[in-house]
Amino acid sequence: MSETVSKLSELTHQYTRKTDTYIIGLNVLRFVVIVLMVIFGLFPIIWVISASFNPTGSMTSQTLIPENVENMSNLLTNYDRLLNDSQIPFWRWLNNSLIIAGTSSILIVMIAALSAYSFSRFRFRFRRNLLLSIFLIQVFPNMLAMVAIYLMLLQLGKYVPLFGLNTYGGLIMIYIGGGMALNIWLMKGFFDTVPRDIDESAMVDGATHAQTYWILIFPLVRPVLAVVGLLSFTGTFNEFLLARVLLTDRESWTLMVGLFSFVEGRFSDMWGVFAAGSLLAAIPIVLLYLYLQKYIVGGLTAGAVKG
Amino acid sequence: MSAAATRTGASGGASVRLPPLTSAFQYLLLLLVDGFGLFLGVSIGQDGNWFFAIAIFLTLALINLVMLIPGLWPLRWVSPALALMLILSVYPLLYTVYIAFTNFSDGHRFTKVEAIDLLAERRYLPEGGKTFTWSVFQNEAGDYALWLIDEAGDSFFAVPDGDFESATMDNGEIPTSYNGYTLLEGGARFRALNEIEDMVFGSGDTAVSVRSANEAGAFAQRWVYDADADALTDMQTRTVYTADNDTGEFVAPNGDTAPIGYWVGVGFDNFGSIIDTTLSQGPLVRVFMWTITFALLGSISAFALGLGMALILNGEALWLRLVRTLLIIPYAVPGLVSVLVWKGMLNANVGVIPEMLNAVFGWSPPFSTDPNWAKFAILLVNLWFGAPYFMLIASGALQSIPSSIYEAARVDGANRWAQFWKMTLPMVLVSLGPLIIASIIFNFNNYFIMEGLFQGGPPIPGTSAPPVGHTDNLISYTYRMAFSAGGTRDYGLASALAVIIFMIVGALTLVQFRLTRTWEEVSENV
Repeated sequence: MSETVSKLSELTHQYTRKTDTYIIGLNVLRFVVIVLMVIFGLFPIIWVISASFNPTGSMTSQTLIPENVENMSNLLTNYDRLLNDSQIPFWRWLNNSLIIAGTSSILIVMIAALSAYSFSRFRFRFRRNLLLSIFLIQVFPNMLAMVAIYLMLLQLGKYVPLFGLNTYGGLIMIYIGGGMALNIWLMKGFFDTVPRDIDESAMVDGATHAQTYWILIFPLVRPVLAVVGLLSFTGTFNEFLLARVLLTDRESWTLMVGLFSFVEGRFSDMWGVFAAGSLLAAIPIVLLYLYLQKYIVGGLTAGAVKG
Repeated sequence: MSAAATRTGASGGASVRLPPLTSAFQYLLLLLVDGFGLFLGVSIGQDGNWFFAIAIFLTLALINLVMLIPGLWPLRWVSPALALMLILSVYPLLYTVYIAFTNFSDGHRFTKVEAIDLLAERRYLPEGGKTFTWSVFQNEAGDYALWLIDEAGDSFFAVPDGDFESATMDNGEIPTSYNGYTLLEGGARFRALNEIEDMVFGSGDTAVSVRSANEAGAFAQRWVYDADADALTDMQTRTVYTADNDTGEFVAPNGDTAPIGYWVGVGFDNFGSIIDTTLSQGPLVRVFMWTITFALLGSISAFALGLGMALILNGEALWLRLVRTLLIIPYAVPGLVSVLVWKGMLNANVGVIPEMLNAVFGWSPPFSTDPNWAKFAILLVNLWFGAPYFMLIASGALQSIPSSIYEAARVDGANRWAQFWKMTLPMVLVSLGPLIIASIIFNFNNYFIMEGLFQGGPPIPGTSAPPVGHTDNLISYTYRMAFSAGGTRDYGLASALAVIIFMIVGALTLVQFRLTRTWEEVSENV
């Protein structure tokens, strides 16, 4: 591996003193390697796209270019089944996912930003200990405490039905709690880059902390909050494990739990419908990620990690 | 409310106005939170869930301290997040540790108080109990109701699992319609009998069920708890079941147990049984070895390929940027979707990969039945997920290396090989090192890929309940133990394993702390 890497690194900086055939040879090699990587990377995606248009909808009969296509509407058989079959509440699941991911990410951003502002601007006792505890909490995966979380919602739901099992409220609450630590750290880093002079001059003019925060700082960090919010959104939208345990009622499922149900039992029958649903779910998320690339790199190398 | 206190802020001596709780509105809000929290804590405490109740009370106390003590004002900004984390992250974590020391499992799923309450709800039809004559009513929705007349001649109207109320006759006759229900007579009455035979009308102490064509009987409570003797009596058989607080069962003299048990502390038993299984059977050792192997190999191979991709595709040409963007797509696709797609493509019977290999070579690797091929497939799929991520980050890191240092190296006579090993790699590792460790931690807990591709399989022969597979890692094994359908779910044992995973992850994090500047960054900002 390392030998190839080194060879390849060589390719990226060509030397004029090498002979022409050598350079051409290396370029051809480089091109072949790139083509291989693209095939490896994109084949599964092309395969899903092809499956979603395959009119028979089963895995056995799938070919890369769908066969048995008599007319164009035939191509959309799987989409038609996904969207119009009364047995498949696709819209309902999508709606659940959007509500849960939307509410969670907005609340995560609002609540975490308040904390991040405090950690970034104020100096108080236990500040350092609190920050470190938050860092430690963040590394323990929520799903390990799944039994405890399940029981908690069970007990809570007895008295506050809004937060019980099978509710939006319960799952949203768990997502918010789980997303808090990481996002406080992320945002604190960004808040630290906003010059302090801004707050100080406002304070001298007699503004309260709340006024400073809402009127001055908040607009300045808004683009960053948007990125953190969108990452939280995709994170909760894609989350599957907690959703599967905490939402047992088919009507309350999120899209990911629903998609999983297509291929859970007999794999090949619902393959086409699964592919169509996966594509519809993945396209907006992929576009978001491509759009956010450079911010993600910035955020990640600043000390945070995509989980 | 109170005059704004003035204090010298940390921000360089500027005078800062402190925000106390300034309005009646804020006090009202705090009062509401307190009232709600107290109600919740007391209710949950009364069910015997003391840990949760205590967690709620502690969080509540903390909120009040922060809100009411002026000196803690900076924490007011942190308090919503802190409260959420305490209840939703810290408490479940500590509770998991607690469960690890109990026998919480199927058959022991409730606290003692809850178990007694649940048993107290069970009814039976005693011989010679209170009897009624019955008439049946039905409303337009098809729901049934009973008109009951007891031995004293008093009438009652009862709906299934609901109200049981006194009713008055209409001139000494049962009315033909009542509250929207219509009396069923003749054949309709007997047809209804089939359906209402198994139904309970009224609820709790007033529950009544149809016993025969003419008679309905009142239910009586079957399980009666005697707190002094710490025992349950089964009224139907007159058997006394004494509570055994070591095993969490109510036990009769003949050794029978009551249908619902409760959970009790069992000390280190769960950890002991994990060690025993490990020593005697061995699968847990394999699971552990594979968990470590995958975490290390998966992360490092993804990093190596990602770096390689970044090096090859390094450059500002449009087509290079396009290829880079295309290759990021696998990272952006929702994890569940990609795992399931790969699972489909690798499927031995209908998957496209075995099919193509068969067509070209006349043979395909037994991915789902051979342990080594299964592991190979998992590492390959992991590369597909992981390499784009590292390529994305490594591209950024490569671009931040100034080209002048390469020129300097060239002047000094360093060849490409030396440049890569002595310059590029070390510099990339500085910014990517922490992310590699984070990736190792993530892959240590990578449930998706293990459970998603082969359900941990192929199974290791001789393991059962729950079965362990060659590609199970600790977390998929734990999850199956706690949540697998069928078989007994042993939450206590699963939690004990989770605690062990906690400790390993915690240790890894400390290593990450040492390797990165996180610790110092925090210190210097204090």
